[in-house]
Amino acid sequence: MSASDLVWLVLPSFILLNGVLALITYLTLLERKFAARLQSRVGPYRVGRPHGWLQPIADALKLMLKEDIVPAAADRPVYNLAPIVFLVPAFLMYAAIPFAPRLALADLEIGLLFVLAVSSLEVVGLFMCGWGSNNKYALLSAMRAVNQIISYEVPFILTALVPAVLVGSLRLQDLVAAQQGLWFVAYPVLGQLTFVAFVVVALASENRIPFDIVEAESELVAGFRVEYSGMKFALIQLAEFTHLFGVACLGTLLFLGGWLGPGPAGLGPAWFLLKALILFVLIVWIRWSFIRIRVDQILGLSWKVFLPAALVLLLAAAVVVIARGGGGV
Amino acid sequence: MAVTWRNLFRRPVTVHYPDVVRPYPDRFRGVLALTYDPETGEENCIGCRLCEYICPPQVIKVEMLKGEKRNYAKIFFLELYACEFCELCVQVCPTDAIIMLKTFDLAVHDRRELLLDKDRLHTLGQQFEPSWATGTGLRAMQAPAPKGGEKAKAATDAAE
Amino acid sequence: MPDPEARTVLEYGYGGNERLVMNMGPQHPSAHGVFRMILTLEGETIVAVEPVIGYLHRCHEKLGESLTYVQYPSIASKTDYVAAMTAELTYVRAAEQVGQIEVPKRAQYLRVLAAELQRVASHLLWLGTWCMDMGGALGGGATMFLYCFREREMILDLFEALTGARLLYGFHQVGGTRYDLPVGWADTCRQTIAHVETRLAEYEGLLEGNTIFLVRTQGVGVMSAALAQDVGVSGPLLRGSGIAHDIRRAEPYSSYEDFAFDIPLESAGDCYARYRVRMAEFRQAIAIVRQVLDGLPAGPISSRPGVKSVAQVKLPKGEGYARVEGPRGEVGIYLVSEGATKPYRMKWRGASFSNLAVAGHILPGHKVADAVAILGSIDPVFGEVDR
Repeated sequence: MSASDLVWLVLPSFILLNGVLALITYLTLLERKFAARLQSRVGPYRVGRPHGWLQPIADALKLMLKEDIVPAAADRPVYNLAPIVFLVPAFLMYAAIPFAPRLALADLEIGLLFVLAVSSLEVVGLFMCGWGSNNKYALLSAMRAVNQIISYEVPFILTALVPAVLVGSLRLQDLVAAQQGLWFVAYPVLGQLTFVAFVVVALASENRIPFDIVEAESELVAGFRVEYSGMKFALIQLAEFTHLFGVACLGTLLFLGGWLGPGPAGLGPAWFLLKALILFVLIVWIRWSFIRIRVDQILGLSWKVFLPAALVLLLAAAVVVIARGGGGV
Repeated sequence: MAVTWRNLFRRPVTVHYPDVVRPYPDRFRGVLALTYDPETGEENCIGCRLCEYICPPQVIKVEMLKGEKRNYAKIFFLELYACEFCELCVQVCPTDAIIMLKTFDLAVHDRRELLLDKDRLHTLGQQFEPSWATGTGLRAMQAPAPKGGEKAKAATDAAE
Repeated sequence: MPDPEARTVLEYGYGGNERLVMNMGPQHPSAHGVFRMILTLEGETIVAVEPVIGYLHRCHEKLGESLTYVQYPSIASKTDYVAAMTAELTYVRAAEQVGQIEVPKRAQYLRVLAAELQRVASHLLWLGTWCMDMGGALGGGATMFLYCFREREMILDLFEALTGARLLYGFHQVGGTRYDLPVGWADTCRQTIAHVETRLAEYEGLLEGNTIFLVRTQGVGVMSAALAQDVGVSGPLLRGSGIAHDIRRAEPYSSYEDFAFDIPLESAGDCYARYRVRMAEFRQAIAIVRQVLDGLPAGPISSRPGVKSVAQVKLPKGEGYARVEGPRGEVGIYLVSEGATKPYRMKWRGASFSNLAVAGHILPGHKVADAVAILGSIDPVFGEVDR
């Protein structure tokens, strides 16, 4: 393989990784400012006047310069490897997400399956964090996490599959192209229900309030990441946000029409980002408006409500497909 | 969620201190200071030590200096780092010498700088705006009615 | 007579399940102060609780013996620092009871005004911190917390205009109060409480329309009336379990008999019932404040001359117990005087101390997540618990 081939192989991923990294860093600022306005206050203000534009940089620098404290009794290999195992799947998700009809790092035939599978790997890294810390709080939180995330992955996958069933393909470009006339969220009844179910279940597999018992600060004081400090902590936070935004991107692709929007085709990525940001803001708004649900209630909800609902929705999608005479929207 | 959405559009209640300072009420109990008599320019403090005796955490240390016509305070130490800001010393002072100011802004790097001596207390008194409360004012506010309730009410209002 | 030493310890006997002893230690974001709970868990269920207190012990009762009747009221506010007015009120009432000292009518009305405004401010803090415990310091709970504090700040501004201090006031003295109302204060007060009332309706809607909140508080932390009476709880905890006992009605003090107010009562005994009692108490307190402002008589604010020296108040020999309905329950002081300027012995009955004792009885059987909800609904302030 020649040098230019190598460059063309590495350069796009390099650009994507850095772009996503920069975007996620500033998303933290967006969340803080939005949350502050919801609470009658201003949020980051001084760092990079007038509105805290340098705050994420300051936070990143601070975390890099912090002392890396490793508990004496921690299981070293697991402890050190955990943030990386947590981070890599989050970034890997973006490899298959298309930002425009031909703007994806890897145009996979099974794009949707890849994204869902990789996002499910998060729970491994999470449990490694909890286990490696050798701390009762961390372990309790990690066990809750495994419980919760595994319970919610099933409805998550099923609701994400509804658009795939309606279109008849797992390729993410096809899913968006099929929404040319009508976005899935506007689909009568089926679209709205699936969208609501998707958002709720996605919140649960992301450990976001109202489902964040995994890291409930008021009970478990940061849960599985309690023993992490400095750069490792930064990696964990980054991974969580990246994963969250990745799921928001997935939601945009599946339900909100991806890059489709009025105007020239070149505006595609801009529309995509805008819609993903709207979904992200919705998730942040939910976070800052609700108190959390108790763990047994969360699990009860998953197995008794969302799993049957997701199955019913999937069956309904199948019925629609058959009624239409198989294949195509 | 509708409630949080509505709050999004309300003005934030943040006061951007220290760019913007909120107005302090008249009776604000801030840092302590010693005063001079505005007419004669003399120190008000007569070293009677009433404030030292009443202070609950005992942060005031006074020594009297006997003079010909009146007494003075030879030394006057006030440990601001232990002060409770209860205003009892202001309450008992017979000459309105010790007062509280409308400032609380005295953060220092070394706690010993908060051990205020007489000179520092006088300087503070000149620097910042005093609160309403003086010994005579407070005692007049609390005094029970003389024969005739109207007079007491008038006295209380006048003390504002 | 049930054994007061008994703690409920449940024996589940799950086959092969290990019990985990977990410490919800003194430093904890939702321990409401310095409070240690040694929880024995089986899975997620609490099986036994051993509370450990004393981290905030500051020898108030000894201080009471070393400080005179003039000096101590501003120190008394530091026991229940969230509701400082009622704490000071207890002490001066005890001294006045022993010394048979009359308090002028205007001072009595001002004391009621201060106590009821303090009740509103204290309950706002309770609501904010309770929601924060249940919702996460970074999340929906924090939003409720900041809203409640926004309103509480307005009440604290009122107190600042009245006394000069925002949290620990030194407002009361033996014989009356130290400060009178400034000019224009009554109007600001009326505006503030009207504003707080509208916002309260908003918060009630926010919480009671929220299924998550209802599911987390209803049926959680049930305290039967019998248990409440055995352990000796008071205040909203007692009234949430169906016992209508309010000191302001049972033994009116400081002119409370002049005011018309209801005593909210709920019978369910769970966290939701206690929440409803406190929400109703908000409204009653605001009603009382309005009545006080409307009917405030002119007159002196103290029956004794203004404080001029530290040994001004000398009480005759005697003893007495004064109780006050604080936001958390019955705050009491038992004072023994030997005829000097300082008490011979002063004993604090902290409302939170007795209320907290019920935690060992009602926590077992619940999940860890419920522990914070229940502890929040008990509303302990550790200055009162440890004194």
